[in-house]
Amino acid sequence: MKESFAELAANQLKKFIPFFVTLFLVLIDFVPTHLPLSHFLRPDLALICVYFWLLYRLDLFGVVSTLLLGLVVDSLSGVPLGTNICVFMLVYLLTMMISSYVNTKPFMISWLVFALIALAAFLFKWILFCVYYRVFLTLPNILTTYLVTVLIYPLIARLNMALQNRYLKTSEDIDE
Amino acid sequence: MKRRRVLFIRLSQFRIFLRKLLVTLVVISAFGLVILSKADNAHLNKTEDIVSRVLNPVIRIIQLPADGLYYVYEKIRDVARVYADNKVLRYAKDQRDDLEQKLQALKSENELLSQMLYYTPPAEADFVTAKVVASEGDGFVHSLIVYIGSAMSVKKGQVVLHKQGVVGRIDAIHGAYARVLLISDINSKIPVIIERTRAKGILSGNNTAVLNLLYTAPKADIVIGDKILTSGVGGLFPSGLAVGYVSAVSPSSIEITPLEPIETIEYVKIVNYGAYDDIFEKGGD
Repeated sequence: MKESFAELAANQLKKFIPFFVTLFLVLIDFVPTHLPLSHFLRPDLALICVYFWLLYRLDLFGVVSTLLLGLVVDSLSGVPLGTNICVFMLVYLLTMMISSYVNTKPFMISWLVFALIALAAFLFKWILFCVYYRVFLTLPNILTTYLVTVLIYPLIARLNMALQNRYLKTSEDIDE
Repeated sequence: MKRRRVLFIRLSQFRIFLRKLLVTLVVISAFGLVILSKADNAHLNKTEDIVSRVLNPVIRIIQLPADGLYYVYEKIRDVARVYADNKVLRYAKDQRDDLEQKLQALKSENELLSQMLYYTPPAEADFVTAKVVASEGDGFVHSLIVYIGSAMSVKKGQVVLHKQGVVGRIDAIHGAYARVLLISDINSKIPVIIERTRAKGILSGNNTAVLNLLYTAPKADIVIGDKILTSGVGGLFPSGLAVGYVSAVSPSSIEITPLEPIETIEYVKIVNYGAYDDIFEKGGD
């Protein structure tokens, strides 16, 4: 059956859901809550989304989305342009290496793998900053952000999963 | 049939090759961008400016529900502490009345002495009050994005104050928004003095809640609780602005705690001291 123009447009727009959901969460991450310690206990929501969508929907969230997202985070946070692109590309490469294995495994495995990839990403970012500024950045604060990010992963992953099941299910998924 | 299959395999291989090429190019470009950022490239600043101009208004809209929740939280907290505050305020009022009398006497004395010295008072500073619309405070960067609207007087390098003292300086302006580099950021270095002893030092951020006081004299008299003020050296910050207080002293480091926690900052005051504008205009953005 031939699709109408509206259906075609809606299907095309759905392809951008992973990118725009990630962008929305990134922007939320910047909103000040003014609550005690909230300034220092901020999860890296972009990292969670990049990993999740690369792992489960590489067809809708690829290199270009990763690049654009890195550019947005760099521009808004005021860090040297390119740093978060480098970090997200590292996540991209690591996720590609393990995606075929993790994709079919239970949620706990993907969470554990995220914890390892996020650790590599945070350490890589830390090295990048230390080299760039030629100073030794204190690790405890960075590790706190890392722990908060890993702990909040299930919540964001469930949200993304719900979106995927609601709007991005392919005909093959439905057949299964 | 066989030929078509070969063509299909070749096409898929070509796609894989293209993807690998794209990934390699992006990785190389990303590292290139980092290196170019070090040189403060104008084109990169333009890119950053465009992204910020587009997305900062969106953050401002997203912030509205968060503001509502915070309002409710504040109201509940206000009710809880109103009795304690009242007691403190009564005591403070008594003290203020006492101090006001002493101040009046000192003011008269100061006027008299100023006339004797031909002292020229500094120009009155003007300021813009700006709302915080975004904040970043992880281990890598400490900054705020504030809404300045059409305030043309806001310029790079101007001092940003909160209720009690300095919180940072203007780092970049993107249309109606400005980025504030907080005093706790790794890139922040402020010449300061200890109020009690006038000992000099450099206050350095380290991307944590506590700052470090560096380059003090080896035998400087510094104790916990000492108030830290800007020294005015370098001309970027005027002298005498409160920054924080000494919270820990050890042979290897002196820790300074800012007067107010960064996460509580809702509004800031961007102060134009006039005389300091030309520093950044000459230095360039």
